[in-house]
Amino acid sequence: MILEISNLKKTYGNRTVVNIEFLQLHAGETVGIVGNNGAGKTTMFRMVLDLIRPTEGAVRSKGELIGQNDQWKDYTASYLDEGFLIDYLTSEEYFMFIGGLHQMTAAHVTDYLLQFQDFFNGEILNKGKYIRDFSKGNQNKIGIAASLMQNPELLILDEPFANLDPTTQIRLKTLIKSLKAERQMATLISSHDLNHVTDVCDRIILMEKGLIIKDLQTTTNTLTELEAYFAE
Amino acid sequence: MRSTFLDHQWKAFWRSKNKGGTIATQLFIGFIVIYLLGVAIFLGIGLEIFIAKAFPDKDVFVVFNGLILYYFAIDFLMRMQLQELPTLSIVPYLHLRIPKRKIVNFLNIRALFSAFNILPLFLFLPFCFTAIASVYSPLIALMYFIAIISLVVFNNYAALYIKRLSIQHLKLVPIMLVLIVGLGLLEYFKVFSISAISNAVFNYIADHPFAALGFTFLAVAMFIVNARYLRNNLYAEELSSTESVKTSTDYPFLDRFGKVGAYTALEIKLILRNKRSRSAVTMSLLFLLYGFLFYKKELLDKDNLNLMLFAAIFMTGNTISIYGQFMFGWQSAHFDGLMANKIDIKDFIRAKFLLFTLFSTFTTLVACLYGLMNWKILVIQFAAYFYNIGIGTIVVLYFATRNYRAMDLTKGSSFNFQGVGASQWVLGLPYFLMPYLIVLPFSLNGHPYWGLLALGLCGLSAALTREFWVNFLAKEFNKRKYKITAGFREKS
Repeated sequence: MILEISNLKKTYGNRTVVNIEFLQLHAGETVGIVGNNGAGKTTMFRMVLDLIRPTEGAVRSKGELIGQNDQWKDYTASYLDEGFLIDYLTSEEYFMFIGGLHQMTAAHVTDYLLQFQDFFNGEILNKGKYIRDFSKGNQNKIGIAASLMQNPELLILDEPFANLDPTTQIRLKTLIKSLKAERQMATLISSHDLNHVTDVCDRIILMEKGLIIKDLQTTTNTLTELEAYFAE
Repeated sequence: MRSTFLDHQWKAFWRSKNKGGTIATQLFIGFIVIYLLGVAIFLGIGLEIFIAKAFPDKDVFVVFNGLILYYFAIDFLMRMQLQELPTLSIVPYLHLRIPKRKIVNFLNIRALFSAFNILPLFLFLPFCFTAIASVYSPLIALMYFIAIISLVVFNNYAALYIKRLSIQHLKLVPIMLVLIVGLGLLEYFKVFSISAISNAVFNYIADHPFAALGFTFLAVAMFIVNARYLRNNLYAEELSSTESVKTSTDYPFLDRFGKVGAYTALEIKLILRNKRSRSAVTMSLLFLLYGFLFYKKELLDKDNLNLMLFAAIFMTGNTISIYGQFMFGWQSAHFDGLMANKIDIKDFIRAKFLLFTLFSTFTTLVACLYGLMNWKILVIQFAAYFYNIGIGTIVVLYFATRNYRAMDLTKGSSFNFQGVGASQWVLGLPYFLMPYLIVLPFSLNGHPYWGLLALGLCGLSAALTREFWVNFLAKEFNKRKYKITAGFREKS
């Protein structure tokens, strides 16, 4: 089991923002999390990444409690927001740094980035800019590419489609689908774009005020079902 | 309109999240401001007596006249360093239905609200209205007053104008530097003297009072030049940022340290590429001049080393204490990323040790020049150096694991209290008291050099047992990890 959440709770004061009884993520599964603002998606992601201490409950990755040791970091890559980017580096330096954490040499990294040429659309590399001077969408691309570069078994992305231009959105979807087929990568993504998540995910989880209220295997009806829920 | 702008600025000041936060910080800022003003008033009122005491064989008026332009020359240099450009505050207004003229006007008025503009008034005016008014005439005193106010205004806008120009024309910066250094050298080698010129100018004003209006004319001209430049270049992009190609850099000498070296390289880049960290480190290099204040021949001859030990510790370790006190807040903007990535916290802490050791070694080597004054200084400094890299680093990093405040790196560091929290206030005590706990038992018994030896050995043994301290600090960090990351996430 690549990820197992049991009885996970986070409360601030007397407000419970996340309350998940049980959730399992299998290897190679692509799971989308949808829900309005305040549903607790990002807080849950942060707990999964050991950035926030849960009030109750546990997150396990491959059976090991995260927070006990750092094993899970070997095969988990994530990009939640610009806070994950080191904004005073150039994009190349950032990729080298992240690659270095996974024992990739400079040549390795350069080689690997060739695959992203389409995805980058000539906007990212050799621009002579620090990351902080890129537009939000391009920062997003850098973060996503850096996380994919780590060859993860578990990929966690928070609203990856936001701020991306339509072409890149479509390219990102293709990328996730092909990586999933290639190397059994499990993906956990949140999104406000129902079309995209239903397109790319095998399974959709609907959250509301910290609770999981629906857990669906994606079928042709899923999109209409979700639209019906959000239209209420 | 102008009052609306000022009202917004007032609110922005009081409501800013970064204002310092704690009451202690605000009290401290208030205290400093009052203290500085107090000193200025005290100096201003007592100027006549001070001058008479300091230069007993010279005429008070000659000294005073010589002082004025000298003051404003230094004032100008300080402004170039410290005065902030009030530009970004206008961005939300640029697209609204407000004439450019009004925005420029506001910027110009806003620029007057600076301590630099208040200080000279307190410093010079009392003298004008007491000594000059009684010895010469009230009219001459009034004209002195006008000349000084005009100089303030002139300096204010000239500094801003040159700063704005240099943002757009980067080549100006080295030219300016060469000019300033050249003028400084000419002054130093007495080729010409600012005070002589100043004296001549103000003597002339004493004879022909209305000549002071010349300064007023200059000030008005500068104001107009600045305003016109602003009106023609009122694009936020051009006023604040520069378009220069940024290149990737490597520090090959750090490669041998593996991952630890990579994290250190990361932090060196952080320091060099962000305004606040850069100015904090440059400022700490300025403190290397402390030796001229503290190293006294009489004290050295008497082997009375205690005061000098403080200076030595501060100089050889100033980058550690000044930069290190905000750790890990420097990295707050991307701390989530660091934590979620595959980074071993022990390597992370080792990298801090490496960075501090590099810092301290560098400043110590520079400070070795004081050894030319007296070899005893070298002994003190090396004892202080070992204390800094051995024990000082541990103290600083221990407090770093209790620092929950995010830092905004885009502003300069002088008088910037954003990100200051409790840990910075407490840190200085153990850092500077601990060496005395080790040294005093020896020096009070008449063996100051044994005390220094003990200090050096303590530092060295702490440096040799560094692995133990790394583990200790990693444990401390993990205890408060979630609180630190949560604190860093709370940005302005």
